[in-house]
Order: sequence, then C-alpha cells, then structure tokens
Amino acid sequence: MTVQPVSFDLLDGLIQWLVVFAGFVATFTVVALATSIPLYGVSGPKRVISGAMRGLTDFVSISPRRVYAIAMLAFKESIRRKALLVFVVFAGLFMFAGWFMEGDAARPELHLTNLVAFVFLAMTWIVLPVVVLLSCWGLPEDIRLRSLHTVVTKPVRRNEIVLGRMLGFSAVGTLIIVLMAAVGYGWILRHVPKDVAMFCRVPVYGSISFLDRNGNPQEQGINVGDIVMTRSFIEGGSKATAIWHFPISHEVDELKIESRFEAFRTWKGNMDRSLRVRFTLVNDEKDLRVPLPAYEVNEFRYNEVLISRHQEITDEQTLKKSEVDLFKDLLVPFDPQNEVHRKLQGDASAGVLTVHAQCLDRGQYIGLSPGDCFLRLTDRSFAVGYIKATVGLWLECLLLVVIAVTASCFVKFPVAFILTSSIGVVGSFAYGFLLEIVSGKQKGGGAAESVYRLITHMNETTPLPENLFTKSIVAFDKPLVEGLGIVRYVIPDLSHYGTSEWLAKGFDVPWNGVLLPAMAVTFAYFLPCLLLGYFSLRLRELEAK
Amino acid sequence: MSEAVIQIRNLSKIYRDFWGRKKVQALNSLSLDVNKGEIFGLLGPNGSGKTTTMKLLLGLLFPTDGEISILGKSASDVSKNEQIGYLPEESYLYRFLNAEETLDFYGRLFDISPAERRERTNALIERVGLQHARRRQLKEYSKGMTRRIGLAQALINNPDLVLLDEPTSGLDPLGTRDMKDMILKLRDEGKTVVMCSHLLADVQDVCDRIAILFNGELKELGTVDELLTEQDETQLLTSKLDAETIDELKAVLAKHNADVRSVTHPRNSLEDLFLKTVRTSQERPGQRYVPSAGDGDSAGGSPEPPAADAESN
Repeated sequence: MTVQPVSFDLLDGLIQWLVVFAGFVATFTVVALATSIPLYGVSGPKRVISGAMRGLTDFVSISPRRVYAIAMLAFKESIRRKALLVFVVFAGLFMFAGWFMEGDAARPELHLTNLVAFVFLAMTWIVLPVVVLLSCWGLPEDIRLRSLHTVVTKPVRRNEIVLGRMLGFSAVGTLIIVLMAAVGYGWILRHVPKDVAMFCRVPVYGSISFLDRNGNPQEQGINVGDIVMTRSFIEGGSKATAIWHFPISHEVDELKIESRFEAFRTWKGNMDRSLRVRFTLVNDEKDLRVPLPAYEVNEFRYNEVLISRHQEITDEQTLKKSEVDLFKDLLVPFDPQNEVHRKLQGDASAGVLTVHAQCLDRGQYIGLSPGDCFLRLTDRSFAVGYIKATVGLWLECLLLVVIAVTASCFVKFPVAFILTSSIGVVGSFAYGFLLEIVSGKQKGGGAAESVYRLITHMNETTPLPENLFTKSIVAFDKPLVEGLGIVRYVIPDLSHYGTSEWLAKGFDVPWNGVLLPAMAVTFAYFLPCLLLGYFSLRLRELEAK
Repeated sequence: MSEAVIQIRNLSKIYRDFWGRKKVQALNSLSLDVNKGEIFGLLGPNGSGKTTTMKLLLGLLFPTDGEISILGKSASDVSKNEQIGYLPEESYLYRFLNAEETLDFYGRLFDISPAERRERTNALIERVGLQHARRRQLKEYSKGMTRRIGLAQALINNPDLVLLDEPTSGLDPLGTRDMKDMILKLRDEGKTVVMCSHLLADVQDVCDRIAILFNGELKELGTVDELLTEQDETQLLTSKLDAETIDELKAVLAKHNADVRSVTHPRNSLEDLFLKTVRTSQERPGQRYVPSAGDGDSAGGSPEPPAADAESN
C-alpha cells in the first residue's frame, strides 16, 4: 500500500465528536426556543423545555422488548418482501464472472487481487443499495398505509420505533452480507491459482524523512514532475537519502523489510538491470552503520530484504571485522522528547530502528512514499483478513441504514433515498474534494465563481478581474462555502470503510488505522441520528392532512 | 355519578397547509365526557369530526386548542396506551404477517409474559372466529376477516378503554351482528367503549349514550333512550286483534281525545330476516327457495327440502 494508515486517536475523536454534537444540540435548542415564542407566546420556551425533558424520559425508558419486536417486524417485512432475491443477481454474477477473469500467468498473485476486488465490489453494489432502499422505504410506507397508527397507539415510544427499524434493517443487511461473504469466499478459493499463496501481510510502518544530495535534512525529496506527488524522489549516486524510523516491539531472530519503490531514469543507463538500492542500518548515537547488500528494485512488486539479528561489519579504516547485535547495538530506546520518535505509530518497547535507503545509480532516481517501506511481521491468514474486510463493509452498511432510517423519519421515500444516496456518494467519492473546498485549497472558488469561469473560459488559477460583478460572485459564494464547512460534519468520511482494498493488495486490514475509525464513525452517527429520528417522528402529526 | 374515563374540554382542531394557512376547521370547541363502563357513540356525517376526535384522543393528531384527559392522563402521554385498545377505521395491519404473528407482535408491545401472550392470542383468535385462518397472511384475508383480526389486536392487552372507529364498516350483516355482540360483551366485562360510526342502526343497537357532531360542533348529547323516545306519542303492542276489536279500541281512545295515527302489524327488521335465513341455511344445508308455479320472482314460494330428503321420501 502506498498510503500508510494514520493511527486513529480514539480519545481525540471522542472529544471532537462531543464538541460537534454539543454544537448541534445547542443550535437546535436555540432555534427551537426562538421559534417557540412566535408560535406559542410566552409559554413557548416552557413547552420546548418540557418536550426536551419528555425526550430524556423516553430515552431512559426504552424497552428492549418493544425494540426487539419492531426490529423483528422490519426483518420479517424485508424477508417476506423478497429482499433475499438479491442473491439471484449475486449468483448470476458469480456464475459467469470467472469466464472474464483469467489471470496473468506471469503475475498470478494479481489474479487473487482481482478476485478479491470483484467479490467486494459485487457485495458493495448489491448490498448497500438494497439495504438503503429497504431502510428508506419502511417507515414512510408504514405511515402512508397507516400501519404505524396501530403501533403508536400502543405504549410504544417513537425512539423505540426508530431504534427497532435501525436494528431490523441492520439485521437484514447483516444476513445478506454474511451469506454473500461466505459464497464469495468459496468462489475465490475455487478460482485462485494453486501456486498463489493466500496470506495477509502485517506491516509496521515507520516515519520518513529525507536528506538532499548534499546531505542536508529535508521534509520531502524531489518532485520529478508529477502533478499529484504521491512519491518524492531521491537522486542516485549522491548523499540523497530516505530515512525511516521503525518502532520495534520485541526481539526476534530475523527482521523482514519489504519495500516497493518507483524507478525514474533520467538517462537510459544499463537497461539489463533495474536501479539498485541499498539499505543501511544506522545508530547515530553509537556512530554505527551496517550497510546491507544492495538489491535491484523490482518495480510494481514488493522486494524483501531479510535482516538477521547478528550482522558482521568491517571497519573501513582497520578492515577489522566484528559482529553487531541488531537489538542491542542498533536500536535506540524510544525517547518521548524526540520529535521523530513521537511521530511513530505502534509499540516501540524494544526501541527504534533507523534505516537509510539510497539509490546507487548516478543520475537516476527512486521514488518513495512513507508506506513504500515497512517491517513485515508474521503474516495473518487470508481468512482473517477476509473477515476483517467484510466487517468493514458491514460497518458501512450499518451506517447507511442509520442515516436512511433517520431520513425516512422526516421525508418521504424518494427524498429519503436521494438524500441517503447523496450522502453515501459524497462520503465515498468526494469527501476529500469537499474538504479541499472548505479549506480553500481547491482553486477556482465556489459554485458561482466556477460557473463564471466556465462561461468565460477562465483558468481556475487566473485571478478574477476586479469589478463589482466578480465581487458579488465571491460574496455570494462565501456563505455557501461556509455552509459546506458545516455540511462536512454531517457527511461521514466513508473512505475509512475501504477495507477490501487492503485485502486485495495482500495486506491485513489495520485495526487502529482502518477498522477502529470505521467503527467510531458508525457509532458517532448512531446517537445523533437516533435523536433526530425520534424528534422528527414525535413532532410530526402522523395523520396530518 | 359515574367516573369519567375521557374528559374533553373546548377541543378545537384546525388543519393547516404547508404555509400554515387554515385549510379546514375539523373541530370547534368540543366538550364532552365519557363515563366508565358505557358504550359511547360518536355520530355524524362524513367530515363532521368523529375520526378527528378519535385521533386526537390517541395522540395521532395534536389539538389546536383545548384539553383532553384520557384515563387521567394527557393524550400525548404514551403510557395511557397501556390500557387502551384501538381499532382504526381501516384495519391498518401488517399484511405480510399471519393472524398469530400479528397478535404476537402487538402483544410484545405490552408488558405481557410470553405464556400469557400465547394464551391471549389463542383466545382472541377463537373469539373473533379466525381459527381456520390463523396461519394465513393478512393479505389473503377478506375485509370482514381483517376487521376481526383488527378487533383482536385492539383487545390483546385486555384494555379498560376500547376505541372503535367505524367497527362495522365493510362487514356483512352476520359479521355486523357478531361485532355488535362483541361490543356488548366488552361492556358486560366492565370495559368502556367509544365507537364512531355513521351507520345509525348499529349505534342505536349498542350505544348507551351518543354525541352527534356536525361540521366539527357538538349538536346533541345524551342517552339513546332520551334522544330517541318520542315523549308525545304512545305505542301499544298486543297479540293479533280482529277488525272489530280494533274499532272498539279506537272508539275508547277517541273518547280520551287520543289521535290514532296508524294501526299496523309490527315488522321484523331486514337484518333479523337475513340472520334468520342464514342460520336456517346453516342448520339445513341444501334447502333452497323454489317459486310456486305461475309466481314471478317477487311472488311467494315454498322452500324446497334438501335433495337427499326428497329422494328418500
């Protein structure tokens, strides 16, 4: 994986959630108090407060028995309305997909990547739309057919209805995902070539820094002309170096470094071999350097370098050979005051290992990103990775069910479906773009300015002409962009849920960097959505004409 | 004085459009009480506010003005529903469930133990006569059967107060009779029943007191006897009299300045005739009506005995 997962700080996330949640509650309270006065006069605020207290009572008095009954109702409803017919589509896809997915004999491991990607793509695009449709459709249909009347005239609280619906549709999604995942796993086993090893790498990522060609520290390497720079480059045959610091949790007999670098040739050079890279293990405190044998960079594949615990080194001046212990001589203790050490993610109980990488071919470059080089621990089984990837999809399904049921509490089915789908699409594919607009990194201004630039064929980096019209366009865009600043707290970042990508590329799905934030996002949306759904249902007249 | 189960004071309801403009005033300052243990009828033509009143009582609508106390609690208090059973105008039930599942689902919404829930489910299915269709999904039910299961779900919690919206709507005369019997039985069990209907005969048959609404306003309120008895007239019912006796009676009445307006034979209601015919047919299957020779369809005839009987004779 080129992208190294960012470790998720649960406490920090919780604090941020509390701040946003409190902000929304405070905003709703102020709006409710302000609108209650013109509607009900001086008794308005009292009504709002008593309504809030009743809401609190309703939440304290939630009955698991009633929630279970409503959840089972939603489950039965979905099953009897033939939601499981999606398996026909799923089965159809799997019956014939094998014909079109012949692997490359030269790179059989890619076949596994394709199979995994296909299974999860199929599951995602079958399960999520079906579950969102069911969730958006359930409550509005109940209200339209008035079946809900016979429920709300029983001692059922509105939050129990919302919660029951959420759980019921989640159960449907869970059932479909479990069945499909089981079928998909069997299908992968059947189609994967016998010579392909199925495993999940467990990487330990480090922090990266650079030295330029003169040996001066730099934050990044050289940009060789990429518009989007995922990798920065170091020059071969110079002092340019990429420096990794890896946290080491415990002592082992052998460490494995795995890397995948990109080669960039400024001249043809020797085309019979790839560019060469050398790793050097360094302990600056002891002025100790252990160069490892150079190896040729095999682009597009992972290169493995094994480091045994005991290394033999030769003193350059005396040519005297001696042996160093990887853990005793090369590791430095973790120092919380050290800025580089503080950036490290993972357990550094045994110490921190420093690895230098240099390109040995003069005038050629190798490109590296933080995730391109990692220590590889004992691999996990493919089945475990598959289950973790499925859990990621399941969490995404739960989140969309929660949003869809909430939307269906205050709008009718078509609007709820469009709303939920839009949130899903923006959260999956355009969340980064949204952040860029809000932060001002996206050139070209807001919606009105973009239209103006389109019509006038103006490049997005060209400054706008100074006149009243363009000023009014910018003024018009400003509140919209600021509004998007609030919207970004409402729309979830669904990029956390892309767990199958890790599995497809042969990696274990990281718990702290991927699964934990996915869980946190799902649960973070649960309570506000439940509250919103509850008040939407309670404050509306179900029988309003 | 009886204890009031429902107290409505100056209740008004205005339906508004999206912009808050007044669309229609469904109820205008309605005040009435419903006493414990009585069958109370809300009468009125379509659009008079009967169903709106019912829905305001249940909290499905919010009042524009006025107050409601139901079983001593506010209409918006969910806990009041523990003691209420409600049969809506149409039986808005889940069509994909069968009768057993329906009653089990609604039973779970109350604090009833599983064993008691099963017991009540069986008893209610038997009570409403759906034993033969207990495992069929409600989408396969006729309208009459749907009303029956609707009533069963309203009674699953053994409520103190039963609200019935058009309980006999869509039922055949036999079903109507059964429904009315069940309503009377509920009163005998000490429950309070509030029903709204525009089928006057049904209301007359079962209700103790009625309220007549028109255009959202209360027009009449009282017991059925009070409201229906003509205090200025007297009816005398005797065994069959010949013409001479009738003339003698007329002479006696004339002597006391009584105005004899009509002398006729009493007639059965069509409902009674229908029920009698159906029950006879159930007892003697195969017997049918055969017109006498020369009679038209409307002329009298004699029932033909069952084919098997005729053959054996």
